[in-house]
Amino acid sequence: MAQSRAEEDDYRNKQPMHEQQHGEPKQEDYGYSLYPERSGSKYKQGSIGESLFTFKHKCHIMLQFAMDTSPYAKLLLAAMRTSGCAVHKDRHFSCEDCDGTVSGGFDAATSQIVLCQNNIHQQAHMNRVVTHELIHAFDHCRARVDWFTDFRHLACSEIRAANLSGDCSFVNEVSRFNFGLKEHHQECVRSRALRSILAVRKVSREEAERVVDEVFDSCFRDHAPFGRIPHSKKDAKFAYRDFENRDRYYANL
Amino acid sequence: MAGSHSLWRPPRSCDVYWSEFKHCKSLFNRFHEYYTYGKSPDCQQWKQDYYTCKEWEKNHSTQAKESLQESERKRVAEQRKFTPVWELRKTPPADWHLPLNQDKPQDS
Repeated sequence: MAQSRAEEDDYRNKQPMHEQQHGEPKQEDYGYSLYPERSGSKYKQGSIGESLFTFKHKCHIMLQFAMDTSPYAKLLLAAMRTSGCAVHKDRHFSCEDCDGTVSGGFDAATSQIVLCQNNIHQQAHMNRVVTHELIHAFDHCRARVDWFTDFRHLACSEIRAANLSGDCSFVNEVSRFNFGLKEHHQECVRSRALRSILAVRKVSREEAERVVDEVFDSCFRDHAPFGRIPHSKKDAKFAYRDFENRDRYYANL
Repeated sequence: MAGSHSLWRPPRSCDVYWSEFKHCKSLFNRFHEYYTYGKSPDCQQWKQDYYTCKEWEKNHSTQAKESLQESERKRVAEQRKFTPVWELRKTPPADWHLPLNQDKPQDS
């Protein structure tokens, strides 16, 4: 799964656990331990406990608002619908309690985006998490992404998500006390992709850096479905306008 | 072909070229171009395309049409200047729409 941390906004890709035999050394868990509710939630759905002790309702409201109003999300949803992966809120999104500071993830095994209801409390944050995870879902939909065994694919989707979701915006970086100006966006994308891989795979830093370096140039330039790097809602709106006019555009090229 | 020429229109409407030009020139965008690529944005082509578009609207000249097509094809080529890491699908994943209880991975 691709995950997002509340404070540090780490995004991780989650993948199903391999079957384990008794007595074998502990295998890769692909980050699933951060999402304990993937294997069953603490409160029964619709129970009083659920409504009193979780933020599920707030999460659903913020999610709906994001899907309705964020131009980033709207473009991704439209692009996915065109590609044959129409997104249904009830099927493809799940609001759950997660561990630590993770904000969300994409579970390729169930084709679901997990939103960490206990770690997302502001609409702007929800918008960004939804965009980030939708980019993973979009990649899953339009390409043969091997989330589980090909680090290059994992790195590529993380680079794209960090690049295109606004994760690495100047304002967000400053809020993390990462001050930088010239080409800092690229540094941020690189470092966040690296952290994501290290968080979900038992691999050395050198190996992870090598993989990120190998795919960075290609994946940083892949701006689908935006056609540009959207630095603001206005960029995203322009991108959405282009997407809506794509038939006319390509017919007259 | 005579018929196709009369059916052609610019890939974007002229006001879109102008709004892209204005947006390109804005302080916000110039800042982000530097923040991302370490350089200033090149906005002149949007302005040029706007005037070409207006010219085509006025007199439907072949030169205007070809100029716009060339400019847009360059933009498309720019967006495709990378070798994909993965293979693109022809059809969406088979399990995308499967209901959830059929989708769960099997526990050992």
